[in-house]
Amino acid sequence: MAYDQLLQTLLGGLAIGCIYSLIALGISMIVRATDIMHFAQGEFMMIGAMAGFSGAMLGNLPLPFVLLAGTLGGGLIAVAAELGIYRVLRRRRVPLINVVISTIGVSIILQNGARLAWGSEPLAYPRLFEAGGVSVLGFNVAPQLLWIVGLSLAIMAALTVFFRFSRTGIAMQAAAQDPDAARLMGISVERATVNTFAVAGMMAGAAGVLLGSLFFASFNMGFATGIKAFVAATLGGLGSVPGAMVGGLLFGLIETFAGSVISTSYKDAIGMVTLIIILLFAPMGLFGRQGRQV
Amino acid sequence: MSATLLETRQITRRFGGLVAVDGVDLDVAEGEVHGLIGPNGAGKTTMLNLLSGHLPSSSGSILFADADVTRHAAEKRAIAGIRRTFQNLKLFKELPALDNVMVGLHASTRSEIFHALLRTPFQRREEREIVERAREALDFVGLGPFADKAAGSLPYGHQRLLEIARAFVARPKLLLLDEPAAGLNGAESKALVDLIRRIRAAGTTTVLVEHHMDVVMPTCDRITVLNYGKLLAKGTPQDIRHNSEVIGAYLGKGSALKRERAAQEGAVHAAP
Amino acid sequence: MGIIVNPNLLRILALLALAAVPLVESNSYWLHVFSVALIAAVLALGLQLLVGMAGMLSLGQGAFYGIGAYTAGIVATSFGLPFLLTLLAGGIAAALASLLLIPLVKLKGSSLGVATLGFSIIIHLLILNEEWLTGGSLGLMGIPDPEIFGLNLAHDEAFYWLCLVILALVYVSIDRINTSRFGRALAAIAQDEEAARASGIQIALCKSKCFLIAAFTAGLAGTLYAYHSRYLSPNDFTFNKSIEVLIMVVVGGLGSLPGAVLGAFIVVLMPEYLRSSGELRMILFGTAVVVLMGTGNRGLIGLLQAAASLVLSRLPSFGRSRYVVRPGE
Repeated sequence: MAYDQLLQTLLGGLAIGCIYSLIALGISMIVRATDIMHFAQGEFMMIGAMAGFSGAMLGNLPLPFVLLAGTLGGGLIAVAAELGIYRVLRRRRVPLINVVISTIGVSIILQNGARLAWGSEPLAYPRLFEAGGVSVLGFNVAPQLLWIVGLSLAIMAALTVFFRFSRTGIAMQAAAQDPDAARLMGISVERATVNTFAVAGMMAGAAGVLLGSLFFASFNMGFATGIKAFVAATLGGLGSVPGAMVGGLLFGLIETFAGSVISTSYKDAIGMVTLIIILLFAPMGLFGRQGRQV
Repeated sequence: MSATLLETRQITRRFGGLVAVDGVDLDVAEGEVHGLIGPNGAGKTTMLNLLSGHLPSSSGSILFADADVTRHAAEKRAIAGIRRTFQNLKLFKELPALDNVMVGLHASTRSEIFHALLRTPFQRREEREIVERAREALDFVGLGPFADKAAGSLPYGHQRLLEIARAFVARPKLLLLDEPAAGLNGAESKALVDLIRRIRAAGTTTVLVEHHMDVVMPTCDRITVLNYGKLLAKGTPQDIRHNSEVIGAYLGKGSALKRERAAQEGAVHAAP
Repeated sequence: MGIIVNPNLLRILALLALAAVPLVESNSYWLHVFSVALIAAVLALGLQLLVGMAGMLSLGQGAFYGIGAYTAGIVATSFGLPFLLTLLAGGIAAALASLLLIPLVKLKGSSLGVATLGFSIIIHLLILNEEWLTGGSLGLMGIPDPEIFGLNLAHDEAFYWLCLVILALVYVSIDRINTSRFGRALAAIAQDEEAARASGIQIALCKSKCFLIAAFTAGLAGTLYAYHSRYLSPNDFTFNKSIEVLIMVVVGGLGSLPGAVLGAFIVVLMPEYLRSSGELRMILFGTAVVVLMGTGNRGLIGLLQAAASLVLSRLPSFGRSRYVVRPGE
């Protein structure tokens, strides 16, 4: 493979990997805090993409505002789902598997709701990044990819800082690790859970804007990507925040390289095979942690 | 002198830097009730997990009926005749009590999926036998009337008895009891003593890990004492009761000396 | 005081009710839909054994369904094998494929779910891409009429009854497995693996056998589907199918065999009945799923039992499900 093709593939893999990571982070955070396997996370991403799209259409807004709109959209829908559905189910003390299946129901509702609101046709995102090649290390690369990687890494860094240094972030971690102890310390576990969904939704929403800008936005863009993000999170160790980051990047890279080197039609399969092989040797994923099972 | 059924040679288990069981030589004679006692953290439950195969050993060997079982997995040992109860109760909570005990007979029975699909006479007969033997085991521990209750819904004392029934139903060669008296009240403890005696009378060899001396002393033929993972003393209940090292381990060195002095003074006063 | 109902009586009544459907409903489209529901019920029963009885969250049933369907289709069109043999071929092919997943059987919880989901994705891609074998996106065509000993069963009613007979056989088989020594071992494994090992149960072996049976069942369902639709397209065999079957089992009631059948009927029939709602159809379906999940512990079967206990004081034991705890205990 020629060098600039290699660089482009590498960058492409990192870009899609970053998007997977952002979604996978939300999945792992939710699992860690509530044990819920959130199958609708991809749909949070999709809603974010749609919200960003609408925001861009409304005001012909530049990138930062579109990103903000998408992030807020994702966050709002996530909080709505938690307050309106998941919390109600938890209060009724239904078995965990019921809550997991309900996330599938939420996924169906969101997909079809989006189809009603935005139509079935894919929507082209307005140009958010400069076209034309940018020179990196003497090679020609698409600037969007650089933007996506850069923005994603910035978001992930902000998340790490948030968890490490902010009161809300620390409270969220405490509530996830030991809800009873957290309550004794005066932390509202219920509020921490809402915050977890909010943050997870915001990151998914941002990912949606980035993904939309890369390809397009459509009502069903969340499903396949969401499942892949789930796989990436499992690969890294479901429930582990660093695991989700690493898993997403790894999965994106493997998928992209497999696609260009081996075969595009079996691109998805290669990622799955990798997952299966890794799970055989490390059943809890790369950074796995022991968690309660469904 | 009956044959040795179970023997450990320098069995050791490390957890990183901590040596939970340190070169213990245990020998259990066939037909006896063998107590395993020691203060908290002595390594008793670790020892039991090593014996049952739920924990692999770091070094040393375990011989059961003259066969080296050190590398054998838990289910293999269970099939060979070693059964156990668990300190933290591991019942099949949502299954009826009867089904819990029936599982104990899994390894003693043979009907396969094929037989079940065709409801062969062999399978039907075996199922009847399984139910019958399970009911007998429940009666044996005193839980006969509760056969159809979900195991998780039984009171705590009954749950302990149910675990014993599940372990005993297959008439194991060796029965490992992990703190069966934990949480039992006085009457229940007395009933437990009686049950252990009846198990012994049925010919089963038992290793009993226990804290409550009022259960250990009346039932055990011999006792092994562990302290900080090491073997401290071995002998009959009488020997152990008066062993000053054992007393020191449980109550602290000072009280061991006090006891000796009291015993000496008592002897002086008793002499005419 | 109350009425004690023999469970077998209930089962026979249900069977008769189902058998009477073609006599009541002559519309060809609806008979087709009901046949699909019966086929889905076979699929759901297989998953119930895995999830409800053994506690293994597998999202691979869709893959085995597809393997069964395409094997039957290929064998029927290329080799002209008669129906009963292709039925067997479909089941066996799926069972053999499940052997590939045996190393995964040791995985727990969501890891197993995701790994089997991955398997479903891989199989779907194989079906889609290997055109020489499956016809790829063009599909597999020309599946003949199902015939047993010269009797043509392609007609709507005949095919419906054929599916019903197979469903009944599968139901009885799974029920017998469930109440057998093996079924007890599975229930024990689902409740507490360490305790199961302590009783001499070989966990990996039992789980693998369970996997195999479930895969075989899914293969049977796939074969029936092939003869039902006469044309196979990769779109019908995505991982969505695996998720659909899981919804059926949970909606109907985890651990309950009649629940699996009920759940299958609901998941297949509900979108049909909602057709009149047009655009809102799937949104209503999704909402219905969420609401049903709020009904708690035992799914719809649990609701029905609770309702029945208000009417009868002595509960009939539906399918002797292991997870049914009778009221008052």
